[in-house]
Amino acid sequence: MTDPSLPVPTGRSVIHDLGYRPYTGPRHGEGAIARALLATGVRHAFGLGRSGRSKVLPFILLAINLLPALVVGGVMVLVGATELPISYPRYASSTQVLLGIFVAAQAPVLFSRDLRHGSITLYLARPLRASTYALTRWGALLIATLVFLLLPILLLYVVALLGELDFLDQTRDAGIAAALALMLGLSLAGVAGLIASFSTRRGFAVVATIAVLLIGNGIVSAVQGIASTQGSPRVGEVAGLFSPYSLYRGLMAAWTDEVALCPPTGTAMELAYLVVMLGLSAACLAGLVWRYRKLASA
Amino acid sequence: MEPVVRTESLTKDYGVVLALDALTVEIGPGITGLVGANGAGKSTLLKILLGLVTPTSGRAEVLGHDVATEPLAIRAAVGYLPEHDCLPPDVSASDFIVHLAMMSGLPRVAARERAAEVLRHVGLAEERYRLMGGYSTGMKQKAKLAQALVHDPRLVLLDEPTNGLDPAARDEMLGLVQRIGEDFKIAVIVTSHLLGELERVSNHVVVLDGGQLLRASATDEFLNATGALLVEVLGEDGPNRMAHALQSAGVSVTARGALLALDTAGPVELHDLIRDTAADLGLGLVRVQADHHRIEDVFADARGVRHD
Repeated sequence: MTDPSLPVPTGRSVIHDLGYRPYTGPRHGEGAIARALLATGVRHAFGLGRSGRSKVLPFILLAINLLPALVVGGVMVLVGATELPISYPRYASSTQVLLGIFVAAQAPVLFSRDLRHGSITLYLARPLRASTYALTRWGALLIATLVFLLLPILLLYVVALLGELDFLDQTRDAGIAAALALMLGLSLAGVAGLIASFSTRRGFAVVATIAVLLIGNGIVSAVQGIASTQGSPRVGEVAGLFSPYSLYRGLMAAWTDEVALCPPTGTAMELAYLVVMLGLSAACLAGLVWRYRKLASA
Repeated sequence: MEPVVRTESLTKDYGVVLALDALTVEIGPGITGLVGANGAGKSTLLKILLGLVTPTSGRAEVLGHDVATEPLAIRAAVGYLPEHDCLPPDVSASDFIVHLAMMSGLPRVAARERAAEVLRHVGLAEERYRLMGGYSTGMKQKAKLAQALVHDPRLVLLDEPTNGLDPAARDEMLGLVQRIGEDFKIAVIVTSHLLGELERVSNHVVVLDGGQLLRASATDEFLNATGALLVEVLGEDGPNRMAHALQSAGVSVTARGALLALDTAGPVELHDLIRDTAADLGLGLVRVQADHHRIEDVFADARGVRHD
């Protein structure tokens, strides 16, 4: 206990007005600036460093997304099953609605927000090229999406190893699932980012992205369903090229034991799925760079 | 002294409008007011200086860097306060300014220190931890100024910093602009459509009109005496009677509002004449003062009109 009657300790700090002091320390280049922007972007995608309200949606979605994996893990431990009740790549496919909502809702945080509030001007006036800004923002969205996609895979993998399932099998299956997840993440981040970069209104971007991703997938699934019952699976295979989710399902069916409606048959079709999926991501990226170069010189 | 900005026949043709028309100008250190009506080319010039807009022809240099080849070097050394809103509402000023300091290449620790210091200089103390969505216009302008200064630029471009501010906040902002130029020793280019403000704070004035340079000189030169005397009298039909009496005495008189402007070029000793004339007519002589130019006059002269 200090005695309050004692005089104030002499070490007590006093505020001095030192006037303006110039900065003479180091100044990083564009690479370090982009890394800092990437880190902030990933944090902002989950609402960290922003208002309390903006943390609610991403974390609720993330929790719901992880819930099945946790339940599966619990069951595995209790029952001592000899294989995972849900396979690694099937997981992202069953939680695709959550994933779609997450990407649709958080892409505007990274893209529309700066457009809506005009803060894009402040970034463009800094030693950071418009293309670097666009690619970094996209990278942040990709990482956030991958956190969403890969966490359940990781959780299932840990549970599988704890349940003493075959290490090599599990590692191979989880690895393929991770590669598939990466491709899905690439295309979703591309599509959602590009849509959000053309919208100053968050609501519009969310609705448009959900329409393109989820409704697009619904239409493709319907076409594939009809095609398979009508006995013309080739139509279904081609239809599958038109949505990131159906591309994912097609490649999943091609690369794993999982079954999907109208999977791509033949090397040419499988290759087409792969090319379209990667090409879609590349096209979206090019679109983003073009969009921000335009904005900078407007 | 070495100019901070130098342009050479700088032209920007947007097709529908010619925003800049062969503009050649040099801007030195200190505070320079950039004056011009809307569409005179001010914003286009600032964007070219930041290396964002590519000029159609001509060249521009900022702090010795060419805008076409070294835009990143320029943007590292220049601070910019845009005219429009540019603050996200869901982060605090403190967090945002730290972030933007890092976007200018400062390491995190230095960015924190600089942000705290600069926010104190612009006068955002306790409020800096609050989300910017709840800020008044004055506080927002201060936050915008802080982000333009946080990386210790050698030149700041301030686009209409007093826009939308009430008189007290405007005075505070002008005081800050003056401090940046005089105490912080940072070159300032400030645009405003309120000429009185620029007369107050700037050392130099550059006047643009239709993308062309109308005039560039020290602020004092704009405000030199015009060589006219202004006279104000009180009384029944005072100004009219006074004007007639002076005209019959051979002095050229023009009415300017309630005042009379007398041409001093004539041979007569004016002060005595004014005094005697007012006394003869029984009018109250309120004031006799030398007439000074206002920056507005540059526009008026250019258009061949004199508006009173």
